[in-house]
Amino acid sequence: MPNIKILSILSLAALAVGQWFIWSYAPLEETMGVVQKIFYIHMPLAWWALVSFFVVFVASIRHLMKRDAGSDILAGAAAEVGVLMSGLALVSGSIWGRAAWNVWWTWDPRLTTTLIMWFVYAGYLVLRGSGMGGERRALVCAVLGVVAFLDVPLVFYSARIWRSVHPAVLASQGGGLEPEMWRTVLVNLGAFGVLWLTLVLGRFGLGRAEERARALLLGGREGA
Amino acid sequence: MLRRAAAIAGKDLRLSVGGGQGLVQAMLLGLLLIFLFSLSRPTGELVSGQAAAAIFWLASAFGLVLVFNDLFSLEEVGGCRLGLLSSPVPEHSVWLGKGLAGFLLLVLSQMVFLPAAAVFLGQDIRGSVPTLVLALIGVDWGLAALGALLGALAQGQAARESLFSVILFPLLLPVLLGGIRIFAGVFSGEPAPDEALWAAIIVAFDAVFSAAGAFLFPFLYTGEE
Amino acid sequence: MTSSASAHEMDRPPRKTSGGGEPVRTHMGDGERGDVRVEVRGVGKFFGSKLVLRGVDCAALAGEALLVVGGNGAGKTTLLKIMAGLARPSAGVVDVRVPPEACAYLGHATFQYPRLSAVANLTFWARMYGLAPSRAELEAVLERVGLARVAGEPAGTFSRGMAQRLNLARVFLIGPRLVFLDEPGTGLDPASQELLRREINGLKASGAAVVWVSHHLSADLPFAEKVLHLRDAGVAYFGPAAEFDAGGLTC
Repeated sequence: MPNIKILSILSLAALAVGQWFIWSYAPLEETMGVVQKIFYIHMPLAWWALVSFFVVFVASIRHLMKRDAGSDILAGAAAEVGVLMSGLALVSGSIWGRAAWNVWWTWDPRLTTTLIMWFVYAGYLVLRGSGMGGERRALVCAVLGVVAFLDVPLVFYSARIWRSVHPAVLASQGGGLEPEMWRTVLVNLGAFGVLWLTLVLGRFGLGRAEERARALLLGGREGA
Repeated sequence: MLRRAAAIAGKDLRLSVGGGQGLVQAMLLGLLLIFLFSLSRPTGELVSGQAAAAIFWLASAFGLVLVFNDLFSLEEVGGCRLGLLSSPVPEHSVWLGKGLAGFLLLVLSQMVFLPAAAVFLGQDIRGSVPTLVLALIGVDWGLAALGALLGALAQGQAARESLFSVILFPLLLPVLLGGIRIFAGVFSGEPAPDEALWAAIIVAFDAVFSAAGAFLFPFLYTGEE
Repeated sequence: MTSSASAHEMDRPPRKTSGGGEPVRTHMGDGERGDVRVEVRGVGKFFGSKLVLRGVDCAALAGEALLVVGGNGAGKTTLLKIMAGLARPSAGVVDVRVPPEACAYLGHATFQYPRLSAVANLTFWARMYGLAPSRAELEAVLERVGLARVAGEPAGTFSRGMAQRLNLARVFLIGPRLVFLDEPGTGLDPASQELLRREINGLKASGAAVVWVSHHLSADLPFAEKVLHLRDAGVAYFGPAAEFDAGGLTC
């Protein structure tokens, strides 16, 4: 078990460095001004949320094949962090949209996909907490974890086609970044990555401890 | 496997059409939704084809939830799920049978929704009828494939309906958008220029979730509570 | 669908379930009286964090009844479900040595669709087992359980005793070599319970192995050859019924 305390301190430091890059290093964007700095937080949040969902997918497949408790716990931990981060990404994206295009919500394919995934994985967490029997709950959640991720590309493409017919209110949001801006993005991506790892491993360790307590009960059965 | 799936579907259709709760409830709820949405139309104005198509598919999605809830609760009444699982029937046959029955019941309820959309929302089929039929079959296929998989999800749960719909609806979005866009074109008589792309999305959705359903259903449908 | 062993293997994932340990062997031969039909080794089961079974070893032989007894929540039904392939053990091995076509499960649930007639119910279950019984066969089996008179009536109108007899008819149609019973007598009148015990004896005589979860120890014990007593999620006794000391076990 990697030491969570060290990771926590590391992620705090990384986030602090990220903030310095955002406020002191990156130049002020000309048309949008200070609001553009939301992007440095928004993008890593969305990115790591997607990584979380991919982890849920892989862990779910592993659980279906091996039926081990570890994969199930990992899937649950990743889903929790993913919902948290995609939720924050949606809020920051919405504030960005309000400032940039004067609307709280637009049918941007990335934003829409994030929203739909937030819905799907929030439902996933509701299912996890629905008080089903242990092994069955793990199995049901693993099936949903697989199905949900299969849906991601379909949602993304349908959102994109949908928008292309509607004359959209926005232009592409990432284009034309200066090198300093790119560096700031990368630094924050890394900082949020450390935070992500800390949260996932922390939740995973907690779930593992629960699992060990359970296994102690079964102890002595071996060889029977 | 196919013969047993057909036997299960036949039994389910017999139970659902002959005095079953699910189909009637699905039809009534869908009709109610279409009527209620017609209230959003200001007097003397027309509902756009797209709005009507969205309402139609929303009614279908709610109908889907009720239909599959009913199909799976049929097996719970007399404990028949254990009977099926303790018999040599492969779980895939159950999934296929439920999906087939659900598909037919959904089409049956849409035979009511379509005229209702014409009456309450003032729509007419101005586009091509074959497009409409093909889109209907394609979208319903995807709905049934996912409904038959996830209908088994909340077996033995108290809050099955609400949990089922909360999880199912966001997953259905791609195929529902496809249905809405193509139906909008058929209602208004001006086919969407990207109809082929939508058809591709619907076919991809059907393929992905038919495969996923066939593969994953045995994990969901078990004798455990 | 044919009912040959190879067809069954393609149809359905093997129901020999293993929570680890040695590989599971499968014999599909007809066997003789006294052959092991189902064997359980080191089976354990969790519900969430609750341990319901631990280190269970037992076997049921052809022509014999294994009575599974124990207090409420001792894990009797869970063990039966694990043996019947309806639930997965958290640990241990279940070795079922007959094909699924020859296994029958008779629980307290009646396995009937209330709006289908008695005959329609039977026909449906027969088809699930890959059988196509003739009208005469159906009538014969309904006659045997005393339901020939009401063959065309919906199962929902039946009393509990009648519904359970219809369920028994389903088992007869299957012609099982391994039978799982989960307190089938619950809620039955004395006459139906008597019929049930007689027919269980008949199934045994025809060479079937019976695994029997029972709440009526004193009444059912004379019909059993072996007893498995579960207590505190573990095995308290497994051996011949004649030597079983019921002790403080009241149910």
